[in-house]
This record gives sequence, structure tokens and C-alpha cells, in this order.
Amino acid sequence: MALKGLDIFKLSPKKNCKECGCPTCMAFSMKVAQGAVDIAACPYFAPEALAKLSAATEPPMKTIKVGAGDAELSLGGETVLFRHEKTFVSRTRYAMSLCTCMDDETVAQKLEDIKKVDYERIGERMFVEMVYVNYSADGKQDYVELVKKAAETGRILILDCKDAEIAKAALEVCKDGKPILNGADASNYEAMNAVATAAGVVLGVSGADLSEIHDTVEKLEGLGNKNLVIDVTGADVKETFKNAVQIRKAAIKDGDRTFGYPSIVNLHKIAAGDLHKQAALLSLFTMKYGSVIVAEHIGYAEALPLYGLRQNLFTDPQKPMKVEPGIYPLNGADENSVCLTTVDFALTYFLVSGELERSGVPVNLIINDAGGLSVLTSWAAGKFSSSSIAKFFQEQDIEGKIKSRKLIIPGKVAVLKGELEAKMPGWEIIIAPNEAVQLVKFMKDFA
Amino acid sequence: MGKFVTIGERLSTTAPAVNKAFLERDPEPILKRAKQQLDAGATYLDVNIGPAEGYGPDLMKWAVELLQGEFDNVPLALDTSNKAAIEAGIAVYNRSKGKPIVNSADAAGRIENIDLAAANDAIVIALCNGEGIAKDNDERMGYCQMLLERGLEHGMEAEDLWFDPLFLVVKGMQDKQMQVLECIKMFSDMGLNSTGGLSNNSNGMPKAIRPIMDSALVAMAMMQGLTSAIVNPNDLRLMETIKSCDVFKGNTLYADSYLEI
Amino acid sequence: MPFTAKSGKFNASINAVEFGTGDKAVKIGGENVFPLYSFDAAIENAPKVGIEITDFGMEHEPECIKKYYEGCATLADMARKAASMEGVDFLSFRMEGGDPNGANKSTEELIGELKEIADAVDLPLVVCGCKNVEKDAELFSKAAEALNGKNAVILSAKEENYKTVGAAAGLAYKQVVGAESAVDINLAKQLNVLISQLGVDSKSVVMNVGTAAVGYGFEYVISTMDRVKAAALQQGDANLQMPIITPVASEAWGVKEAMASETDAPEWGSQEERGIDMEVETAMAVIAAGSNAVILKHPESIKIISGLMKELV
Repeated sequence: MALKGLDIFKLSPKKNCKECGCPTCMAFSMKVAQGAVDIAACPYFAPEALAKLSAATEPPMKTIKVGAGDAELSLGGETVLFRHEKTFVSRTRYAMSLCTCMDDETVAQKLEDIKKVDYERIGERMFVEMVYVNYSADGKQDYVELVKKAAETGRILILDCKDAEIAKAALEVCKDGKPILNGADASNYEAMNAVATAAGVVLGVSGADLSEIHDTVEKLEGLGNKNLVIDVTGADVKETFKNAVQIRKAAIKDGDRTFGYPSIVNLHKIAAGDLHKQAALLSLFTMKYGSVIVAEHIGYAEALPLYGLRQNLFTDPQKPMKVEPGIYPLNGADENSVCLTTVDFALTYFLVSGELERSGVPVNLIINDAGGLSVLTSWAAGKFSSSSIAKFFQEQDIEGKIKSRKLIIPGKVAVLKGELEAKMPGWEIIIAPNEAVQLVKFMKDFA
Repeated sequence: MGKFVTIGERLSTTAPAVNKAFLERDPEPILKRAKQQLDAGATYLDVNIGPAEGYGPDLMKWAVELLQGEFDNVPLALDTSNKAAIEAGIAVYNRSKGKPIVNSADAAGRIENIDLAAANDAIVIALCNGEGIAKDNDERMGYCQMLLERGLEHGMEAEDLWFDPLFLVVKGMQDKQMQVLECIKMFSDMGLNSTGGLSNNSNGMPKAIRPIMDSALVAMAMMQGLTSAIVNPNDLRLMETIKSCDVFKGNTLYADSYLEI
Repeated sequence: MPFTAKSGKFNASINAVEFGTGDKAVKIGGENVFPLYSFDAAIENAPKVGIEITDFGMEHEPECIKKYYEGCATLADMARKAASMEGVDFLSFRMEGGDPNGANKSTEELIGELKEIADAVDLPLVVCGCKNVEKDAELFSKAAEALNGKNAVILSAKEENYKTVGAAAGLAYKQVVGAESAVDINLAKQLNVLISQLGVDSKSVVMNVGTAAVGYGFEYVISTMDRVKAAALQQGDANLQMPIITPVASEAWGVKEAMASETDAPEWGSQEERGIDMEVETAMAVIAAGSNAVILKHPESIKIISGLMKELV
């Protein structure tokens, strides 16, 4: 994080000795802030002041790596609180929970369920990336055996275990997969720290309240461990939300480096047994500052909206979202169905495809490569012109793939009709209405 | 970033009508000018009563109560070299719409006004000037440091010191204009607030030209990071320029009616 | 070292707007903190949840909604049933059939139905239109008149028809005026300015700043709401301090994830579950971004969201 001249000036010796070559300490501070001068040029900065300044220039939130090889993921590293300020960095990751308290049948079922959700959405693989393995002292399962089974899924593990000996044994069978050991608190942090560092894994920290967590993180940092995540789960939904927001806000806005770590939210603890409530909370904590969210169950019903939300939330606010150009057959369209073309701006695509689907009329939606711009903007930029459309049809071999020779174009570029008919002989060019909402009626009338 | 703060300059004892009203404690001309400025979008009103030796405290108290009573506790800048008058004004000042501004302190004879502002949790305009006009920005920034340190020592927040580079008249000091603008950039780089009597630049110019020069200068100064100015809010061109610059800087959100609100 | 959180309380606040009458009236807005940040300062009015029915009754509803209204013969029956669902704070009637490009039902017919509903329930009412701006201008003018004294929300006036809708709803019949823009923050502000320039009290205005189902360009919705709240609270922009009402049901139940039948998408499982999760996840996301009220339609979604609001605020 960039420091203002004022922050440096406040810690400067204020002697105006000119030994650094600047007329005043203020001028010097300003130059340091701009990066024009090294702070070492002043011999009089107190060591504590220098330490404070160097801490202040560290990133506000650490990036923590979990998982090994191709499965490795980054958590944290965020620099802003709102997506319009700058792109969020590390996607929220989702985990399903297992527990030694479950019976064999449930465990087997859960292990199957974890693998069920696996699909692609706009070029991104959507699946449950993590498995949370909870240790309960009066459980029915052997913890190490359960961890072994969980590891076989190939997903990244989070071990919830506060008993250092058992955690150590469990890590023996899974540490190569770089799991998270979520088990440190005020009472056991020294022992857990030893176990986690020996295994080379990330350590999760929890506590009774924010002060206790802050304190424990400081102590762990004092022991030299900065490979941490913070379990923000509180007694209930309200406290968990407060913890998630306060920790992130303190790190990003108020420069509290102690809280500059990714978070874990465990819905199993605050909404057990209520899957719809967990679905709502998956959404809430994706919006507000969960780095990893643990739920009892993530099936298609939960995942379809959730992964869509995450994909939207983590887009670059400066860049328009694009969809892949190509042919999208809708409502069971085949090679004889009419074609409709528009641009690859995601919002246009979703609006148009949504309305077309609502019409129920089979249609081949042909998405042009228009630089991710809207219809009129891309038309004005020459990226959605008669020649670019004709060229795209040729490159994609549309005439070879589709037999219909009817092409519907957006009403806003009706002017292209004549040019297109000239450049694409044999095609009948039809003009759609100006707005997507009018498409349902238009398509029904057309069919 | 907050909106640019305009301090309306038209309640000044240098205007004969205002001077007369002050001396006679005649509310009407004062309220009329105040209303014109507020309607035009002024945030603060400057109350310049001059040195007002002897009767200063009484006059400032009267003016503060009059203006705040009539205009929903409008925030005010108390502008006088008379310290007792500033204290008397602050004693009756209602800060629900903003802290009072002490106008002003400098790095020479009036440095104690910093202490006064600190003691009263007020904002202070800190003029980066010693005896005579600063010869360059090294000198200005030296004063800036002196004033800032003084404020911090007395427990002020840096944001309550509004640094004034001292705008200079173009006719006679045209070659110094870029220096002043660079000085504002330095304040801004330091993270400090700034203000000043912007219309100084056009002193002595034909009346029709002044709004043009003032508008151009405010745009350039806002680009440099100026956060406030003491201006004539009834200069429409100037106010429109400020509102437009606030949009460009993201200080306000654009809407087609932005000039009307 | 113990942790002391810096306060996130602002000097400015969102307007508190009341709609409905009597004990059932609801109040939204009033907070001086970011959405749901009740740890920064108490939030007096938790976000509210409305239930939506349309003039088509059960005709266009999926089976999983229909089953809750079994035995209802009229719209009034449906309204009474809807009002009795757990967690419902207000009732929203969407006059979808008014669309000249759709069923093109007459204004008289729709207003007649609206009156039936208004007589059947004592919950606060929100009236939504058919999305055709000319027809909506007519529908809303008549609706404002028909609901005289009910302090209903007319959702909503748009750039094209705000004069007619604002005059009838805001000035003549003193209803609450909704100002609708489609994820365009500059237009959202401009519309509020224009409506207040008509003479409508800004404390009787709410906004619908547009929405989408999650996954469908929802990033624009998030940033629009984030920026509205930032301008309202951080910059103290009085022209964006109106509370936000977001109709979620029509978006959430319109996407393929919620609509696709179990035969068409067998691997996706139960359609009802998909619909509910799409609705609650979208609703929770718009509330987290700044909506002060949401309009939903599945009773389970309503129960979940309204329950969570009580827990969170």
C-alpha cells in the first residue's frame, strides 16, 4: 500500500538538517513517498519508525497458497473492499464437510456427492474445490481413516482438529496435498504451530471473539508463522458476518496487518441442517469476504447460482465480460433452424439468449467476435460491420454447418441489411426489434 | 474524496454596504448577501469583520448568531485578525453543519491562531507565508512544515489544517503562477487539504474577464489537488466550473441535472 | 493486543420510507451504515420481504408455486393466501398482462383486480407494471387513484414516464413513488432529481436500480448498488439516499437454471430446489449489496430470507 508523505513526515525527525539534500523534512518525506529518494538517505529516522514504515508498505492482505501441483489455489491477497475499485484477486472457494460423527453410509454418500457438481461455465471449471474434515472426539469414524478417504477425492483438505497429536497423525497421510490445518486457538497455538510448520501446511486460527483471534495471530506471527488463515465463524450468523467484515475491513482499510489473512466461514456450525439457509449464506459470504466457505451440501441447486455469482463478482470492473464467439443452438435448434446474430458482450448475450429461450422458438444464436462491446458500440468501432460479420461466417464455416439461410440481425444495426445481402449472397436478412424484451413476441410471430 | 468546499467571500467589511451593516448591526443587507451566496451553492460563508478593534467580540458574536439562526446553522469561516473576536464567535457557534474555520494563521505574526484553532477544535486556514511573499516553493513548504508541526503538537488532526499557498495576481506576477499551482500539488501529495483566495489572480482585470480567469485557475488548481477555495459563489461560470471539475474528479456522481443541484 | 474496530458509521443516512397503513405498515431504510453492518451502528429497519403475485394468477406459475395456492379460486383468494405465508412483510401485485405485446389486458380489468386484492388484504402493497412505458403510465395513474389512502408503492416511474407516474402517484394521491433505472447509476440519480423537481417529497421515493439473476451480468448490479450506497453515505449525496426495493422473483425464476424441467436437465435435480436456491442466493446478494427490500415468490425463499434478516440485523 502506498504511503502518503504525511505518514512518513509524522515519523520523521523534523530537524530540517538538510543532510539528505532536501530543504526540509517535509520535502524529504514527500520524495520518499514518490519513490524518488531512499529513506536511508536520512540518518536520523528512529529504528522503530523505520520498522513501522516498512510494515506499512507490505500488502494489506497476504496471499496464502493451498493445495499441491495443478490443484494449488491462492486465497486472499485482496487490496480493496468493493469490486468497482479494482478487480478482486482470489475467488471464494467452497468446501463440503465430513465429520467423524457421521456413519459409514453417510460418509460414503458425501464422498459421492462431492464429485457430482462438475461443469463448465464461460470457460471456467465449476466444482467443489475443498473437503472439510471435522474431528469430533466422540465420533464413529477413525479420523485418520476419514482423512485418507477424503484425500482420495483429490480435493484440497481442511482438517478441523484442535488435538495436536491427532492432527499430526492426520497430516502424515495428507500433508503432500498441502491442506489447511484449522485448529489453532488461544489455548493450543504453540502445539498446533509446531505441528503445522513441521508438516509445511497452512494453519487456521479461531477464537472466542475478535480480540482473542487478534491476539492469537500476533502470537503465531511472533513465533514466525505467517502462513495462516482465520476461521471467522462465530456463535451465530450475526457474529460470523461481523467477524468476516471487521477482519477484512481492518486489514484493507485500516492497515491492520494482523488481520491481513484469508478467512474460513463454516456454515455447518451456524446453520446446520438447513440447506436453503446455507444457500443464502453461501451467497452472503461470497459477497462479503469469505475466502473459503464450508457447507454441508453443495449440489447443482446450490452451485448453479453460486458459481454464477462468483464468476460475476470476480470479473475485472474495467473490462467488459465476453462470451466465446460461436454458434449457440437454443430451444433444440438444428441445422434447419433460423439464425440470429449479435455481439459477444456478456450482458447482451445473457439478455438475448434469455429472451430467445423464453420464446421457445428453436434458433441458432450466432455470437460474433465484437471485442466484448455492446451492439452500437461495436458497430461504431467497426467491430460489428457487414464485412466483419461476413468474415466471421466464413471463418466459422456457418454455411457448412447450418442449412437455413435466414439471418436475423439486431434492430439497432438495421442499416447493415443491404450491405449484408450484398456480401452474403443467398441469405435473407431479417431485422429484429430494437430491444431484447421485444424478442419473445417477434420470435413467436416469426415462427 | 469529498466535494470541493467553497467558502463564500461576499460578507466582507471591505464592501462598503457590508461594513455599514456590520457597524449598525443591520441584519437585512447581511442576510440578503448570505442568502444569495447559499442559493448559489456556497458551502461555508466567510465573515470578514476586519480588525474591529474594541467591538470585535460583540460584532462577531452578533454575526454568528444572526447567520446560523437564519440559515440552519450554516458553517462559517471567522475572518479577522482580532483573536478575541474569533473566540467570541466560536463560543456561540453551532457545529452541527461543520466545524468553524479560523481565517487565518500564517508563519509569522499570526501563528498563534493555530493554537487558537487547536484549543477550540476548529479548522484553520494556514497561510504558507512569512514576512513578505515567499520567494519559492522551498520556502512555502518550509512554512507548511512549521505550521503543520505546530498544529500536530497542539493535538490537531492534519486534515483540519487547510494550507493556503497564497494566490498571486497575474498582472505583475504572471511568472509566479505555475509555482503556486505546483505548491498545491505538493500539499496534495502530502495528503493535506488546501484553500485560498483564488480570485486574487484576476485583481485589476476588466470585470468581464475575471470570471474567465478565475474559472480557468480553479480547474487547474483542482487538477493539482486543491480541496477548497474562498470565492464569489455568485460567479456562475466559476461555480459551474467547480461542479464540473467535481464530476471529473469523482467527488460527486454525475446526473444530467448536476448544475441544478 | 486486543482489537478495537474503527467505526464505520456515517454522518449521512439512507431515508426511512414507510409504506402501507396501520399496524401492518413497514418502514425501510434509515440506516447510517453499509448494508447489514449493524455492528457499526444499530439498523432500525431490517430489510423487508414481499411476496409477488401477478394478474395471471396461477396460470404461468411453475408447479412448485401452484401447490401453495391450492384451492384458491380468485386473485383475492391468492392474495389472502400469500399474505398468510410466514415472513411476508408486504404484497406485490404485478400487472404483467397489461403488455400490449402480450395479453394486452385492459386498464379497467387490471385495476379491478388490483382493487379486489387491496380489499382482501391489509398488508402494505407494491404495484408493479407490465414493462411497457406507455401502458404503465396509464396503469400506474389509475392504480394510484384506486389505492388512495393506502400509502402504496408504485413501482415504478421510468425516465420515459416519470412525469405522469410521479404526478399521479406522488402528487395527486400521495403514494410512494418508485424510481426505476437499469443498472445505470447516473440515471438513477437523475431520475431522483427529476422526481423531486416535480415536487414529490424525496422522503416518499424509493429506487429500483435494476437487477439480474446471479450469474447474469450480476456484477453490474453489485457495483451499481455499492456505488449508490457509497455516494449516499460517504459523499452524503441526498439524491441517492432513497432506499432500494429489488424485485427478485421475476429475474430469478426466469433463467434456465430455475426453469429447465427435470426431463430436460436430469443431472441438475429437482426444479423446485433450483428455483428456491436461485431466488434466495440472488435475494441475499442484492441485500448484501444494498437492497432495503426484496420481492420474492416461493414461500420457502421468503421464510429463509426474512428469517435471516431477523438474525442478521
